[in-house]
Amino acid sequence: MEILPSGLAEIVADDEDLARFLTSSGQFNSTMVKHTAFLPNPKDHATSVFRHGAAPVDSLWRIGLEHAAVGRTLHGAAICKAQHVRSALLEVQANEPPQRHADIVGWPVQPANPEMEKAQQKELAMNIAQYAQLVSR
Amino acid sequence: MGVLYGLASPGSAVSPAAESIQHGARSVVSALERSQALFGTKASAISDLWKLANECADAGWDGSDAAPINLQAVHNAVAFIRALPGLLPLPEFAPEPDGAVSLDWIVSRNRLFSVSVNAGASGRLAYAWLDGADRGHAVARFDGTTIPARILDGIRAITAHGNSAVRSR
Repeated sequence: MEILPSGLAEIVADDEDLARFLTSSGQFNSTMVKHTAFLPNPKDHATSVFRHGAAPVDSLWRIGLEHAAVGRTLHGAAICKAQHVRSALLEVQANEPPQRHADIVGWPVQPANPEMEKAQQKELAMNIAQYAQLVSR
Repeated sequence: MGVLYGLASPGSAVSPAAESIQHGARSVVSALERSQALFGTKASAISDLWKLANECADAGWDGSDAAPINLQAVHNAVAFIRALPGLLPLPEFAPEPDGAVSLDWIVSRNRLFSVSVNAGASGRLAYAWLDGADRGHAVARFDGTTIPARILDGIRAITAHGNSAVRSR
């Protein structure tokens, strides 16, 4: 199995934690992460995550500040397992650099019907978010 | 308004005509109070929506390539809020990476209904829901004044049993 510069395996294991950094106060409420935090970027149809759990928290926030919240407020992170992404019939692919970076891919794409594309993506994002842990900063 | 409250107050009517006026005044006061309570709550929600739009007004607000929240999408979301029937709870708001606004009725992490309001002139709205093991998605058209029955039914179905996390009114 190929090892990446970060020392992590190229294939993301089912039990690995994934962190999605939260840069808007609208991406979560007092108890949970909202599904919109996991919606894909419309340009590359991928959701950027880092292969990191809730701990150690210093390391988590350092990655978030360096790569996701440059010049912005880092509110926290949504932590989910790779298996929850796969159970939504999506995939997690390592994508370094930066180290530990990965993408959630496989989102439905329907250029001829963008509203239906969005509706499908929202349902899949809800399936991931229901298992996500909110870590506030 | 003070005159209306005086007319509506109990014990001031001494004739059938006066009782009729008192009854009418009570109805007017009641309707005004309901209207003000509803307007105040919706105005607060709309204010929160604009705050979110301001927070996500720059491209890349998500640390990646997210589009700024589109102003037309905000205007369309305001129209949607105004069109909501008074008895329905109001949603929470969230930014979406394509510049749309998500209106979310959240009862719990596995019981929620969400409508995506975009800037498109077609009025076509993407929506999805999660209700325990039941889930789904669809598209419906909002004409700017009347919310599609399928969306209203979906919101009612999700919020009918317990609404701890939806915006209180």
